Amino acid sequence: MKQRLLFLLPVLALLSFSIYSSNTIDYPDYFPNPYYNFGNNVLDTTKIELGRILFYDPILSKDSSISCASCHSPYNAFAHTDHDLSHGIRDQIGTRNAPALFNLAWQKEFMWDGAINHLDVQALAPISHPKEMGEEISSVVRKLNDSKEYRRLFYLAYRDSMVTGEHLLKALSQFQLTLISAQSKYDEVKQGRSSFSNQEKNGYQLFQKHCNSCHREPLFSSYEFSNNGLPVDTNLLDFGKWQVSKQSQDSLLFKIPSLRNLSYSLPYMHDGRFRRLTEVINHYTNGITKHPTLAKELQSPIVLNSNEKNDLIAFLLTLNDKKFVFEPKHQFPKNKIP
Amino acid sequence: MRLTAQQKRTIQFIPIFNGAPLKLDTEYYTAKDTILIETLKFYLSEIQFCKDNVVLDRLEKKYHLLDLMHPTSLILKHKSKNDFSSIRFKIGVDSTTNVSGAFGEDLDPTNGMYWTWQSGFINFKLEGRSRQSPARQHRFQLHIGGYKAPFNTLQEVELKTSKKKIILSIDIENLLTDVGLTERYEVMSPSENAVSIARYIAHNIKLKQR
Ligand code: HEC
Ligand code: HEC
Repeated sequence: MKQRLLFLLPVLALLSFSIYSSNTIDYPDYFPNPYYNFGNNVLDTTKIELGRILFYDPILSKDSSISCASCHSPYNAFAHTDHDLSHGIRDQIGTRNAPALFNLAWQKEFMWDGAINHLDVQALAPISHPKEMGEEISSVVRKLNDSKEYRRLFYLAYRDSMVTGEHLLKALSQFQLTLISAQSKYDEVKQGRSSFSNQEKNGYQLFQKHCNSCHREPLFSSYEFSNNGLPVDTNLLDFGKWQVSKQSQDSLLFKIPSLRNLSYSLPYMHDGRFRRLTEVINHYTNGITKHPTLAKELQSPIVLNSNEKNDLIAFLLTLNDKKFVFEPKHQFPKNKIP
Repeated sequence: MRLTAQQKRTIQFIPIFNGAPLKLDTEYYTAKDTILIETLKFYLSEIQFCKDNVVLDRLEKKYHLLDLMHPTSLILKHKSKNDFSSIRFKIGVDSTTNVSGAFGEDLDPTNGMYWTWQSGFINFKLEGRSRQSPARQHRFQLHIGGYKAPFNTLQEVELKTSKKKIILSIDIENLLTDVGLTERYEVMSPSENAVSIARYIAHNIKLKQR
């Protein structure tokens, strides 16, 4: 059932260590083709491992207090649950909720407003954001070059002990690209290894009718941008994609998040305004605000009785991927942070 | 002597202020202003030699980061053999590269020519102080970039020359007059201002005749 992308990296046979490094990413055959161009950043175990070490190392922040994982925890499907808005160096609060990280290879644009156009350059944003890691990429590279252990790790990965911005960013991408969520109950049902209860089946039908156009199977997002009718938070005044494009038709459009792993990745929405799925469902049935850019699918009200709401939630819970969340290969690399 | 004619071919960029090569961190007194330039960096890319609108030769290396802080970066050696009648180049980085992730060498994000909070290269960076700038300490910062319509700032320039040693100049004094530092002293994102300044940059690039 699995498609297998096999990347083999032939390494000069002269070198005494590994002659071949290989790695695979696995995903089910009902997934579309990834969008990420692996040809420009060929996956390789030593690079993935380097990326993992960097992801968990606070050396990337100004005062060595915050790592990527501080806001993207593996146990929260790489989101953050303690705070609705992100929490950075010197306890500063950002303006948005840290999204869960998985299936990134299928995404074209990043951040709630799409400000980032490629996964490889995404890390520049948190590293240099004054309220996140508050550091400059050139000083991160300097710090890494000052570390004997990192020079060794970069040498193992790139055959070049000189750390560069390009290699740092691409290694971070490598690790993040391996974060694939495809082992939920929904996936087992798809693969004929499990079946839905009646309640889940009913919820699935409601989902397909009301939600699938935006939260499209099997990734549970089209990864497009849309206005789902949330009233504007008058303190944050966040207008989403408009902030990037300055085009009025983009006002209040936010990136459509995947609905996989919702039990782990709360709170919900770009500003973390909801903590429970019932609040989310009630938003869709009773809370839609009609801004001029409201999505056409949500113009007429979604009507659900309380049984139907429960059924829909029961289906959403089949998208939780416990295997993904507890996968040891994704977690803190014990004893490995230099 | 193994120095053949083709090896001597060079392109040199000389930023000019007040008729002479611009010096960083030096105060210039003009009729209306006192100006000091701290940073001048930009991308010179896709350099081609043409004749009758046909591209005869191009520099193998596509992107060159020219930084006045490192004067050697302003001189490019090349080996084109053909007789050409014009040189063509771009100021900035093309849109495909802008959406294709991280690169090394001249394009490495540690060079300070990549925006962090919104993807995209800074094509041209000019920073300093001017009495005309109302900002704190009279600073001005022009970070000109943007690869997407309607704010595409990439500029293409073509100049007639057949010289083996090409000297290009960019008049920074004129450029700043065109920009108007009283109004535009902090341009740091893709915008209408960035597009108009990108055009001024292209207009102020000339061949130095000798
Ligand atoms: C202080 C908290 C914080 C830290 C530290 C942090 N992030 Fe994030 N991350 C966020 C927030 C908040 C967003 C959403 C930002 C936005 O939409 O403007 C985000 C978005 C992302 C996205 C885009 C996801 C999507 O669905 O579009 C990726 C990928 C990501 N972060 C990876 C990283 C990496 C890699 C690091 C370490 C270099 C990191 N983050 C450090 C809070 C953080
Ligand atoms: C028109 C497109 C659209 C439709 C239809 C839609 N959504 Fe959404 N959904 C969005 C967008 C956009 C967001 C993010 C909004 C934001 O944060 O500003 C979102 C966010 C969510 C979230 C929060 C996820 C997270 O990680 O923060 C949940 C849960 C959700 N939707 C469930 C549903 C359900 C259930 C339905 C069907 C009843 C549905 N959506 C229908 C566009 C849509």
